[in-house]
Amino acid sequence: MGRFIGGGNAALNFATRTGTSNVLVYEMLGGAVWMTGWVVVEDVGVALRDEQMKGTLEQNFLAPVNRFTLLVGISLTDIAITTAIFLIVVGATLAFTMPGAYLAFFQAFLILLIGLVPLFGIGFLFSGFVIKFKEPYVFTQMVNLIFGTLTGTYYPVTILPYWAQFLSGVLPQTYVISNMRQIILANQTLVSLYGSIFILLALALVYPTIGYVVFKKLEKDASVTGELSKY
Amino acid sequence: MLLVNYPSTDTFTRLGEEFKAAFMKDFRSYIRYPAWLVGDLVSTPLWFFFFAVGVTLFAPTTQTSIYHGYSFFFFGFIFIVLFSTTIWGTGQSVRNEQTAGTLEQFFLAPANRLTLILGRWARIFITDLLVIGYTTVLLYLFGGGPLFLYEPALFTFTLALFEIGSIGFGLLFAGLTMKLKSYNTLSNLVFFGYMILTGTLFPVTVIPMPFRYVSLAIPFTYFIDLMRHAALLTPTILPESLEYASAVLLAFVMLLVGFVTFNWIEQDARVRGSIATS
Repeated sequence: MGRFIGGGNAALNFATRTGTSNVLVYEMLGGAVWMTGWVVVEDVGVALRDEQMKGTLEQNFLAPVNRFTLLVGISLTDIAITTAIFLIVVGATLAFTMPGAYLAFFQAFLILLIGLVPLFGIGFLFSGFVIKFKEPYVFTQMVNLIFGTLTGTYYPVTILPYWAQFLSGVLPQTYVISNMRQIILANQTLVSLYGSIFILLALALVYPTIGYVVFKKLEKDASVTGELSKY
Repeated sequence: MLLVNYPSTDTFTRLGEEFKAAFMKDFRSYIRYPAWLVGDLVSTPLWFFFFAVGVTLFAPTTQTSIYHGYSFFFFGFIFIVLFSTTIWGTGQSVRNEQTAGTLEQFFLAPANRLTLILGRWARIFITDLLVIGYTTVLLYLFGGGPLFLYEPALFTFTLALFEIGSIGFGLLFAGLTMKLKSYNTLSNLVFFGYMILTGTLFPVTVIPMPFRYVSLAIPFTYFIDLMRHAALLTPTILPESLEYASAVLLAFVMLLVGFVTFNWIEQDARVRGSIATS
């Protein structure tokens, strides 16, 4: 498709806009982060829905377990598997296309791990929505598509309109994708990217806090109105 | 509940009332779940932007080229959405009733089968038009520029041919799913085959030669080629007049084949007693 639209200069046009001619690695990094993010947001958000459908949500909530560990724990297996797949697929691709980029890959993976933390916070928000609105799949798909579009999964966010770039700036995946590309394709390091790493760390604090507070509020409302048992 | 068995002896009035009742039935089911509406209005355009913006990275850096890139991809999106109406509208209508266990009641009703199926098709077609119109506005707001449509009359004409052909295909597909039952596998195979082989997102001339023969044997290839030609003045596969004549012929042949096949499969299912098995 790209070659049809860009003709013989397609690769050159791509390089002009992205700063790299390595189309495969550029697109793969964005796609892999997006898919990993999708799994985290959906799993944390939907895990409670599964309990709700099985009729075991109330037993879970009655157990003397912290909600935070419950939400993280029941979705952790899938997330660990997805992260491992990311490690294998991206690692293998880099081994073939950019041998010697191991150190860069290690740094990029660290950024992914930091970037997962705010995503858990978004997942907490969804857990709250599940309790209130019940049907989560349409919303998780919609939000993950918004994330994919705004965070520069397949393109740099700088080509988006300004209002969209503003929204991109508050999404953690924007920094994860951009930093990973900078490290792997533009020879940057964690140290040289300290500004955006700092923002990512701040988001890692803000999102889980907001997410958990909203979840607890919705849970409390549901326990008062009797919404917990409905599905 | 609308009166389906309309007491008029006027065939057109009766069919019209049946169609209206079928449309309202599907519309009411649809709005019963607001999440479906939200999903259609938000998720569908987002899938388009998600891929379209990426593809324009390869376009020449002039603004007009970028706008053309978006328009090209957007028409691909329209062709995909329209075909989804065929698969998940017409084709799935019978299967939905079958899995819900209401197909026999549906077939026992003193109403024409086809108007009942077309009622669902009409509801999805209207929803799709809404999504397409709404995405066009979003595309403009998103900086994708205006949508190019050089020959609106010809585009409408070929769109009508596409729809006539796709209703025929939908009936054929509805019959097949009634017979084969495994709807999801079949619909995914057909849908992705359509996307790849008919040149929805790229002209068929870029498809490697042995596979291009398959593309050229699919009627939808010509409807799509003519719609894109009318919209963006791209070259046609066959000489223009020949391609229009072929498209008209193919559209009506598809409708006839779909109609005949569906009736044949339904009769066969009645004899074998397989209508109720899901």
